[in-house]
Formats: sequence, structure tokens, C-alpha cells
Amino acid sequence: MKLYCLSGHPTLPCNVLKFKSTTIMLDCALDTTSVLNYLPLPLVHSPRLSKLPGWISKDGTINLEKELKECAGRLFVDSQPEFCLPEKELLDLSTIDVILISNYHCMMALPYITEHTGFTGTVYATEPTLQIGRLLMEELVKFMERVPKAQSATCWKNKEIQRMLPGPLKDAVEVWTWKRCYSMQEVNSALSKVQLVGYSQKVELFGAVQISPLSSGYSLGSSNWIIQSHHEKVSYVSGSSLLTTHPQPMDQSSLKNSDVLILTGLTQMPTANPDGMLGEFCSNLAMTIRAGGNVLVPCYSSGVIYDLLECLYQFIDSANLGTTPFYFISPVANSSLEFSQIFAEWLCHNKQTKVYLPEPPFPHAELIQTNKLKHYPSIHGDFSSDFKQPCVVFTGHPSLRFGDVVHFMELWGKSNLNTIIFTEPDFSYLDALAPYQPLAMKCVYCPIDTRLNFHQVSKLLKEVQPLHVVCPDQYTQPPPSQSHRSDLMLELQPPPMPYRRCSVLNLPFRRCYERVYILPELANSLVPSELKPGVSVANVSAILHSKDNKHTLQSVPKAAPAPPSKKRKRVVEEPPVGGAPKPLLSGAVPLEPFLATLQKHGITEVKVEETTDGHILHLQAEDTLIQLEEDGTHIVCDNNEPLRTTIRDLVLRFLQKL
Amino acid sequence: MEGECFTLLPRVCAVLAAGSSLPDDTSLEKLLDWFSELTTAGVSLVKDCPCLLEFTSTVVNSATSDPCILSFTLKLVGLLASSEDGFIVLQESSVLDLVFNPGHWEKAGHWEDPCVRIGWIQGLRSLLQHTKALCFFVQAGLIEPLLQLQTDTSLFVASAASQILAHILIFYQPSPSLTHNSMEKNEAADKSTNPSTTDDGRCPFKAETDQSFTTVVMLISEHLKNSLVSGGDAKLHHAQQSLRLLVLLLTRLRPPLRDSLLHAVTDALEELLMTDLTPPLMDVILAAHSSSSSDVRIHRLVSSLLSTKKPTDLLHAAAAFLRRGLHDDVHTAQCARAILLPLHIVTGQLFLDMDPADEDLCSMAAQLQNKSSCISIICTCLTNSPLITVLDPSFLPCSLDVIISSILLMLRLCSGDTLSVSSGCSGAVRNVIGSSKVKKCALEALMSVSSSPGAKAEVIKVFTLLLKYLDDPDSDPTVFHKSYQVLVRWISVCRDPSSIPDQLKQDLLGVVRKRVCDVRWEVRDSTVEFLGRLAAVKVHHTTDTEAQSACEVLPGGSSSITPVLEEALLDPESYVRASAISALAQTQAPGWQQGAALTQERSEFVVRLLDVLSEDTEGFPRRAVVQYFISWFSSSASRSSLLRRSVRSVLSRGSADLDWEVKVHTLELAKLLLDEALSAHSSSTKELGAQCVHPYAVIPQPVYTPHTHTENGEEDTAALLETLVEEGVVSVLLSGLVDCDRPVALKACRLLIVLREALCPPSHTDLGTDRETVAKVSFLLPKSGWALEIIKILKTKNKAEEENAATLRSSNCIDELKLGEGYNKGWDGVSGAGCERMSVCELLSNLGLDERVKILNQSSDHVQNSPLSLLQDILSAGGAHTQPNTQLMQEVIVDCY
Repeated sequence: MKLYCLSGHPTLPCNVLKFKSTTIMLDCALDTTSVLNYLPLPLVHSPRLSKLPGWISKDGTINLEKELKECAGRLFVDSQPEFCLPEKELLDLSTIDVILISNYHCMMALPYITEHTGFTGTVYATEPTLQIGRLLMEELVKFMERVPKAQSATCWKNKEIQRMLPGPLKDAVEVWTWKRCYSMQEVNSALSKVQLVGYSQKVELFGAVQISPLSSGYSLGSSNWIIQSHHEKVSYVSGSSLLTTHPQPMDQSSLKNSDVLILTGLTQMPTANPDGMLGEFCSNLAMTIRAGGNVLVPCYSSGVIYDLLECLYQFIDSANLGTTPFYFISPVANSSLEFSQIFAEWLCHNKQTKVYLPEPPFPHAELIQTNKLKHYPSIHGDFSSDFKQPCVVFTGHPSLRFGDVVHFMELWGKSNLNTIIFTEPDFSYLDALAPYQPLAMKCVYCPIDTRLNFHQVSKLLKEVQPLHVVCPDQYTQPPPSQSHRSDLMLELQPPPMPYRRCSVLNLPFRRCYERVYILPELANSLVPSELKPGVSVANVSAILHSKDNKHTLQSVPKAAPAPPSKKRKRVVEEPPVGGAPKPLLSGAVPLEPFLATLQKHGITEVKVEETTDGHILHLQAEDTLIQLEEDGTHIVCDNNEPLRTTIRDLVLRFLQKL
Repeated sequence: MEGECFTLLPRVCAVLAAGSSLPDDTSLEKLLDWFSELTTAGVSLVKDCPCLLEFTSTVVNSATSDPCILSFTLKLVGLLASSEDGFIVLQESSVLDLVFNPGHWEKAGHWEDPCVRIGWIQGLRSLLQHTKALCFFVQAGLIEPLLQLQTDTSLFVASAASQILAHILIFYQPSPSLTHNSMEKNEAADKSTNPSTTDDGRCPFKAETDQSFTTVVMLISEHLKNSLVSGGDAKLHHAQQSLRLLVLLLTRLRPPLRDSLLHAVTDALEELLMTDLTPPLMDVILAAHSSSSSDVRIHRLVSSLLSTKKPTDLLHAAAAFLRRGLHDDVHTAQCARAILLPLHIVTGQLFLDMDPADEDLCSMAAQLQNKSSCISIICTCLTNSPLITVLDPSFLPCSLDVIISSILLMLRLCSGDTLSVSSGCSGAVRNVIGSSKVKKCALEALMSVSSSPGAKAEVIKVFTLLLKYLDDPDSDPTVFHKSYQVLVRWISVCRDPSSIPDQLKQDLLGVVRKRVCDVRWEVRDSTVEFLGRLAAVKVHHTTDTEAQSACEVLPGGSSSITPVLEEALLDPESYVRASAISALAQTQAPGWQQGAALTQERSEFVVRLLDVLSEDTEGFPRRAVVQYFISWFSSSASRSSLLRRSVRSVLSRGSADLDWEVKVHTLELAKLLLDEALSAHSSSTKELGAQCVHPYAVIPQPVYTPHTHTENGEEDTAALLETLVEEGVVSVLLSGLVDCDRPVALKACRLLIVLREALCPPSHTDLGTDRETVAKVSFLLPKSGWALEIIKILKTKNKAEEENAATLRSSNCIDELKLGEGYNKGWDGVSGAGCERMSVCELLSNLGLDERVKILNQSSDHVQNSPLSLLQDILSAGGAHTQPNTQLMQEVIVDCY
């Protein structure tokens, strides 16, 4: 069993598991942090960005004026942003049989895998994962296509040139794997390969293994996966949460007794408690609005935003924000808000029960009804006529490199009355803000990451007790910025197996057993004899039939009565196929009674020698040795066949025949 | 009522002696309490209630008595014999010998019952109040069974036995003036100089007691000594009991006796200390040390105590040593080190000069690895660290600023900032990260050390840290609250706000603005409360300048606070709204005192407050509004028309409130107006101050403002009364008088009495025109609501007086006030007309205020709690028992539960 690690990012995993005869890809997340090296894509012409100076090396030998621009002391690539793809060279991706998706954030690289690698398998995901994943992909494509850039910067990726660039571009890794965004066509094609599954549904893969998604409690439709054969069980835990938010709670008990547990997607903010951050978000928001400023919340169009809106729904009145408009701007805003309301079976119990009441599960519906929350596909159109300040705007993309958020950054960045509140933990807020510096608006960092923290995961692992844990390298040591926090790492016994990008791990367990079926008529023909109470054995003579990783014992077809022929004699001479084998022996030869028996038969001079495995009886007169061992008896007797036969028969008296 | 009770008593005794069931299991205790009260009041129960004697002899001689009744009887006999007269009577009737003879009860099979044993002990305890009793106690040989009971299986019995042993030694010990030598030489004391009682009211030492007391002391000392000698688990329990007794004795006995007792047990204590250190043993040693610190053996005991190898025991012993205020050259420094050791290890500051391989250090470090013991050790260490900061610097193992910075570092560790810590103690650090308990203890310690010398130098560091705490979204609301308290304390320590960097002040304002918008109401409330406290703290910029409010530490001063607080007035949580109103009162108080001019905003704000009073659905904000006006009225340098107007509105709205506390506060405001009006009558104000203390809440004492009188006396009085009527004070008091809540009615009644005494002279005094002028001051009594109640009172009183042939017709209160007809008709026609006008003075004198105040002074359950009621209950329960009536029985049972 092997694990190929195609991504080194702990929360954006992409691994391939080879288990029995199957090749299973576990998630295919897209590392979008690479876009932080690019200039933002403004929706309306930005004189500031267009006037940025280009970069020429100090000695003037390298001129990348068109590709690299300098802004607030940092270099940015002026091109359509590119993403860092999972490793493609580690193994032949066309051999992948299935891809299991754990949540909609972990499927964004799907088109790159399914469309250009010769992939012919199936993708398994839950319905909300598919639908919301589609929305996020669609949004990403729209963000890119809305602001087309003909130019594609590649010169800077040249190793020799990159080495001469200032950081962080100089330190960017795998730049040659970075790719532009896919098209809608590729998205549709990729998603057409998705097969929907429900929680706890069991899917057979070629008869070899069974896969089953379990609720992971992190987002709508998010799942952990169980991959098991008859005798082995591998759990894949990715992006799970034990907090009571909108999704169905995490199914922990099904993870018990795993041989291997692959653990990814723990919280990126182990020191930031989501409750505290949610409170901080609300108080900063209220403080800004009271002072007459606007609040900008860069966010994804699904996920935490539902919780933010729910929290605000309760908070609005207490903070006297009843008249403040809340805007949600995204090409998929409407679909996201509506989808969330219809996935009843994927919601937590509280929200599920609301489905039977004349009120929607999420309170954002009421906010929309009362006109407190308005959503628009973009800043163009209706929004510009409805827009009132001070207000709160939720919009993407959290990287601040594309999407409507770019416009608001340009619009509000100059006033210190306004505040930008970061809630998504995926991007460093300082890096995100870099191309907008100098910035007068206040910045607040309230990363809300509801995924498991180290304390929770230690408790979880204590309960489910996997034999081995495999996790990203980052989880086995404290975060670099807090090297003394030994509480912010996984401490397990035996220690977890760490992986990083491009690792190939031999998972530490061997398959010992295989299940074999026996056909009823064959079973019926068996004559078991009891070996000891509760244990019976029988000889089976059968044909082993293996197909689709299923093994069956079938009766031996009776040889058709051979037509009389001249060769008849020869047929008789041959041992019959499936003829009765010799009986099997069981039991042990007890030393004292055996010696007594030998004496009765005239063998008196016996020297007994004790060995590690049993005894050696030396029949001195006969010059014969009898080795009595736990699993065998040997009679060493040269040239005295009658004696050997006698001793054999004496030995057999003590053994049981089957 | 007492007489009536005495009449019932024989029947009650009969019921009890017959073993009838009781109304509930507290009846006997209540009965005893009543007897004790009577005895204390000087009633001789033996003489006045002979039935009790009969009862005791009946019960004592009966073989079948209920153990509860027996226990009661034992206690009663002790009580009866607590006076010498009673003792003699009982001894003569030989009841005493029988009752206190344990052999008698053992024979009857009652001694097994712990309630009989405890009755025996408590009876003895009551009995042992005079010298005769002690002689009896010794002669009857009761000391032996009593000492045995000290190790009784029932914890209550054992504890009571220890208590009485302590009582005997303490009560009968020779007074300091009697003896200067050791106890053994007591008999040589000059008895002729004996005072009849000692200065603390205890029994004087008399010749006949000497011998008995010496015997008792000897036996008890011997008993203590033997019981402390170690040996097995059973002995251990015995030793614990004796140690507890020793603690009692050592803290209350006087020198010669205490020293001899100590001398007797020191060896045993030393031996005990070798085996195990328990809290009582620690207490004994420390109590011994505090009384005889110069004794070498005691000194050695303390040294052994402080060299225990168990880290937690050592910490507790050191803390107990310092807490008792004990100091000596050797041990104080040792204790300081022991207390600071956990801080030394966890913070990694290594401020104690210790070898890393030191045994104490290693064992403490091992203990700190365990989460639960770590938290408790650190908390003990932090809680006691302020004790060290007040010690003489020569005792300190390190400088004070190091201790303060260690506490600061501990707070940093708790919030997860571990960068400055060496890696050696990561296990302990891991345990304290995020612990609210440790955070609170450390903050408490930080608050305590604020007054220590050298604290000023740390102000900036403390500010920076507290700001970090206040900015931390994961902090528990209680941690926020404590952080604010500490901040206020340190601001007051700092004295000079200009020394705080502007950036910190700016950050503080930012944090406060954010926290006032917090999701948790507790945090918003703490923040608002903090702003109020900040405004109340006075600081000096320099020594020459006048004191300023501490809210000047915030950029923009109080003007930056006010909008934040006004916003909080709209908070959905009533506590926050109430805190905001109080905080606003505190921020505005300096302006009131300086007589600052009224602004438009202030007028609008007052209107908002009045709206809160009449519209807010919760009681707390409404109470706070009335308090606001009380503060304004009492601290204001001038009476603006806005203040007058608004006070009148507050009176009318507040008195109609549904919340009784709002009404009491409103009456407090009315009292301020009354004070102001009566300030010329100095005698009455004095009386007012003495009488009208608010029973439930602390109300600031009124500040009297000078009231000038230009008119002559009588017209002035009438004018004053007129003003009080116009301002609505009189109607507030009258409505309060008939309020269904007792505190409101009581307060109103007292104030009305004050008003009556001050302004309405009694009719029989001949004050001529003065009385007439004052009597003419009238009041319009509406015929609705509370006024109907007033009319009803008048009507009842009128009827009663008519029956006594003292008609009110002769009264002249209504002649000129067109009230005559209705009044003469006995107030039958009140429902028809709209309002009635009547003389205030007559009204006050006809309301029967003096009787009313007496009734109101009694608690609402005084009838149920009276001895008469108790006796009746016992009788009726007994009756129900003797004449079975299932329904009645059921009722009684139901009543019990």
C-alpha cells in the first residue's frame, strides 16, 4: 500500500492511494496562494495600477518591464493570475481509477486532472459538494474572464532570472507548474465525471475495496472517506469540524479501528478560536459602522459566509445596525444563498427541523426579505443604483487579486473610516494587501477556521485509535512562528508518518488475509470433524475462481465418465483429479505414554533428549532417532523399513485423523 | 404575648412528654431558642415555668422516650442549670446527676443514638457557665466520657466534644490579673483581689474551682498528648481531632495555661510532623508560633514544617505562615522563596538563586508537569505573591520589580506568548496556556502589587499587557472584567497620565470602542462600567495642578467617552443600559459640582433618561435613572430649572413604577428634597439622617446645600410645606405609604413622620397663628389609585374614633377646605367626585403613622415565627396525633414539605 503525495499544502491536499489493485486520488485541491504574486485585476481602469513602474535588474541586463511591476517596494507579475497545480510527474495520473472529493474547497483542481492527463475514471462527491464546487469554479472562471489579459508572463519563471528577483518571487516554488485558470467548458466536462454519493453509502470499486463518505461537519456536504477491504480499513480525514455550525455534525464513530488514518485539513489558525473571531468580526463591524465607515469583507461565496450572516442576523439589532445595508456581491451570490436553503438533509439537526416549518433553515432568507441583505452578481447594474453608505459588503475573492473586491479596495482604501475584515484563513492578509499599499483603511484579521484544532484532533484520535496516522509534515512540529508551542502539534504514539509534496510513503501494514467465498453445494459436501471444542475442520477440494477481485471456491467438476477407449487403462493409472487426499493428522504425541508403548513393543533402550521444540528419542539398540516436535514427527531409521513402519504406526495411534 | 405563652407551656410539655408527633423537626430547636432568649433576657425559667422541671423529670425517668425528646431534654436541663439558681434547684431535685450520667443513658439503651450524645454535650455546654457547674462536672467524673466522645464515630458529636473541651479551658482559665505564674501555682493567687467578673465577662476564678480546673487541665493535656502519639489509622483520626482542638485552644488561651499546654504536646507534635503533614497540624504549629515565637522548640517545629519535601504542602505552609502575619529572620525569607518557586520555574526567569539540581526545585517542577496540580499550584503562588511584596526588602529573595515582571510574564504565557520562555519548563507552560483561572489569579496579583513601591516604573509594561488582554477575543468575560479593574487600579497608581505614551492611550480608546460593541453583553457591561470607574478616579498631572478625572488618559477625555456611553443606552441588555446610565452620571459629576452651564445636548439627554424611566421594560435601567437624578441633585452646585423640572417628573414616574426598588430610590430622591427643605430645621435633619437609612441599598449620604431664609418662621414653614406639595414630594410619600412592598411603605412612613414632626406641630401645642398657617397648606387628593387606600385608612380610623365617642367633627381640618360633608359622612361618598382637597397636617396626623411604622418594622413572617405560634403548632400537631383525624394529619404533613 502506497501513498503518493502530490500537494504539500496541509489544507489543500491531493494524494493518491494505491490500495489492493486500485488507485484512488484523495482530493484534488488547487493551491491558489500563488496568485498573491500577481497584480490585482481591476474591474474598472485603475490609473494607479497602470502607472506602476516595470522592473529592470540593477545592472540593466534583464528587462522585465512588461512582466513585473513594482508596487510599494514589492514586485508583482502583471499577467493573468496562475495557480499552483498538484504534482503531475510523480505517477501516471491516467492510471487513477477514482477521485474522492472531501469538500468543495478541495476539488478546485479537478479540471486540470480530469481533462489533460488521460483520466478515465470516476469522481465521487456529495451533491452539495458538486453544486457548490461548481459555483466556486464558475465564479473563479468569471472573475478571470471578466478581465481578460492577453499577456501571459513566462520569462520571469526562467530559473536563472527568478534567482535574481527580489523575494517573495525569488522564493516561489514550482513556478513552472503554475497554470492559468481553466475554462467553463473544462469545468463542465470535469464535473460530468462526478458520480453523486450520500453519507454512509457504500460504493464497490472493482470488488476490491469499498468506499464510503461520512459527514465531516465542516461544510455543506463535506465528507471524510472510509476505504476498506474485508480485512483492512483506511480512513481519510480531511477538513472536519466538531463545532456546531450549519453542516451535519461529524461522524466520528465510523472512523474507529482504522489500520491507517490519513489526516489532512486541520485548522490553519490553531490559536484563533472561531467563536472569539466571530465576536471580533461583529464588534469591529459595529464599531466601523457607528463611526460612519464602510466594512469590506473579502470572502468565498459559500461556507463561512452563511455563519457570518447568521451571526450578524442576531447581532444587527443588539448593535443598532438595523438600517445599515448589507451587500453580497458575487456572480453566484444568488445561487449560493438559495442552494444553502435546499440541501436540508446535509444540514445540522436544528436546521433540518426548520425545513418542516414555514421558515427557511438559514436566517439570511429573512435578511433578504426585510431588505437588510441584498445580493448582486456584480458591481455593475442594479448595485450601483442601490448602493448606500455606510454599508457592509461581502465579496470575493479573498486573495484581493480578482473579483469585485478589487474595486472596493480602490474605492475605500483611502479613508481611515473604512475597515476591511479578513475572515478567510487561506491567505496571508499582509500579502493580500501588499499591492494596495499605502492604505489608509483599517485592517482587521479575524480568520474563522472551524476545522479541527490540535486539541480536538488529539481527543478524536484517542477515541478512534487508528494503528497508524499519516499527516502533512507541518503537523508534526510547532508552527515556525511559535516554536515553543508544543501544544500546537500532533504528539502520538507511534509517531505519525509525515509527508510533504512529492513524498511516496509505503504505508506500514501488510495484507494478511483475503476473503474467499465457498459455494453452497460445495459447503454442503464438507464433513467437518471437531478438533477441539468449537473448532472443526474439513478438507476441501475445490477450484479457486478469481474474478473482479472476488475469490470463490467451486466444486470440482466430476470427470465425465470417459468413453470406453483404448486409452482407458492409462486413464486409470493416472491419479484421479480431485481424488481423496491422505488424511490429515492432528494432536500431539505425549512423551511418557509413547515411551510406555515403545517398551511394550520391545524397544526399551530409549535415551530422551530435550530440545527447544520437543524431544529426541534415541533408540540406541536400533540406532534410530525419533524427533517429536510441536509440528512434526520424524523417524530417522536407515535400512530398517519394518521398524520404521512399526514406529510410524505407534505414533499414529496417538494422533487424530481427519 | 409572653404570658399567653407561659399559659400554653404546661400543655406543650405534656404533649412533648407524651411523645406526640411534632409539626416539623425544627420545632424543638425553635423552642430551645426561645428558652435561650428568655434566659438571656433574665427570665428565670425554673421559677417562672415550673412545668419544665416536671417535664424534665418525667422524660428522664421514662424508659420509652423518643431520642429527639431526650436530646431536647438534655439541652433544656443544661439551659435551666446555666444560672446558679437553676443549678441549685435542679441539683436538689437530683435531676442533674441523673441527666448527665452517661451510664444512665447507656443502661436505658439510648446512648447509641448520636442525637442523645450530642444533646448531652450541648446540655453540658450550656451548663458550664459558672463555678458550681465546673465542680459538678469534675466531681461527677464527666471529663472521661467527654474525652472519649472526642473520637466519636459521629463527626458532629466529635466536633461538639472538641468545642466544649475548648470552652471549658477558655472559659474557666484564670484571668490575666489573677496569676503571673504557671498554672500549677494558681492556688497561690490572691483571691481577695479577684474581680467579680473578668474584663471579657468570663467566670472569675474562685477557690473551689481551682482544684477542679487543675484536674480538668491535667486530664485534657494528658489526653491531647496521648492522642497525638502516632500509631495506626484509627489513631490518626483521633490525632486529627485533637489537633483541631489544639488550634482552638492555642489561639484563645492566655499565656501561662497556653504555654504549659504547648509544653505538654510539643514532643508529640514533633513526632507527628515526621510522619505526615496535615492542614490541622500546620495550623497548630503556626498558632503555636504566633503565640510563642521565641520558644526554641517551636522555632524548630516551624523549621521542620517549612522543610517538608512535598511541594504543595510546602507552598501551603509558606502561604499560611505569611498570611498569619508571622515574621522572623529565618522563616520569612524561606517562605517567600517557597511561594515564588513555581513562578521561578514556569516563567523561566530564574530570579531565585537556586541550583538547577536543587531537590525542592526538581520536585516542584515535576508537580508542575501535571495539569491539574499545576493550575492549583500556580494559583496558590499567584494569590499569595502580594504577601511578599509588602515584606521588608531584606527578606526578599529578589527585587520587587522582578516579581511584578514575573507576574506579567505569567500573564503573557497564559495568552500563549511563549517566545520569551526557556524550553526547560514547556510542560508547565503548556498547562497554563489559555487557563482563565490562572489569568484571573495573575490579574488579581497584579492588582495587589500595584500599591507596592516600585510599581510605578512598571506602569507602561502593565498597560501594554492589559491592552493585549482587552484586545484578545478569546478572553473569558470574567477575565475582561478583571482586566478592566486592574487597569483602573494601575491608572490611579500612575497619577500622571501624561507619562503614558499617546499610542497606548489611542489603543485603549480603540479597544474600548470595540469592546462596547462586543457580542457578549458581559463584556459590553464591563466596558461601560470601566468607563464610569475611570471617570470617578482622580489623577494629577503634576503636583501643582488640580486633580482630574482619569478618563483624561483617553485621547479626547470625557468627550470621547460620552458618545460611547450614549450609544450603550440603546443596548438590548438591561444591565448594560443601567451601567451606561451610572457611568454617564459619573462622567458628568465634575460638571455638576463645578456648576457647568447647561447645554442643549444635556437637556436632550435628560429627556432621554426620563423616557427610559417611563418606557424601559427592565427594572435595572429605571433604577439607574433615579440614581442618576439622585447623584445630580445631591452633587449639583446649583438648582437649575431643568433639574427642578426633571426631579418632579422622576418623582411622579418613579413612584408609579412597578419595581419596588425604583420606588425606594424615588423615595430617596424625595428624601433629598425633604432634606433640602428642612435643612433650616437642623434638629429634624439630624433625626432624619438617623432614622431613614435605606434598608437594602447603599445610598450616598445627602449633601446639604445652603438654604437661605428671608421670611419669618411661620410663613417659611408654610411655604416649605407648600413647596413640598407642589414638587410632588408629599404625594410620593403618601403613595409609598400604601404600597404593598414593605420596604417602600416603611421608608415612606418614616419620611412622613419626619415631615409631620418637622412641619406640623401637634394640635395641643399652642402655636397660634403659626399652626393655623401651616394647617392651611392643602393637598389635592385624587380619588383614584393609591389615594383610595389613603381615604380607606382615614375612614377606618374615623370609624374607630367615632366608636370611641371621639368624633372627628370637632376637627377643624376640613372646615375651610370644603371637605366637611364627605368627611362627616364617614367617607362614604368618595367615589363620586374627582379630587379632594385637604390639609396636609391633618392628613399626616390622622394616618396613624406611629402605629403603622411599628407594624411595618416587623418582618412579614413575624406572626408565623412567634413563640406563641410555635407553641400552638406543637399543640395542634399533638392534638392531631392524639385524636387521629386523617385530613388534619395530611394537612400537617403537607405543611411540613
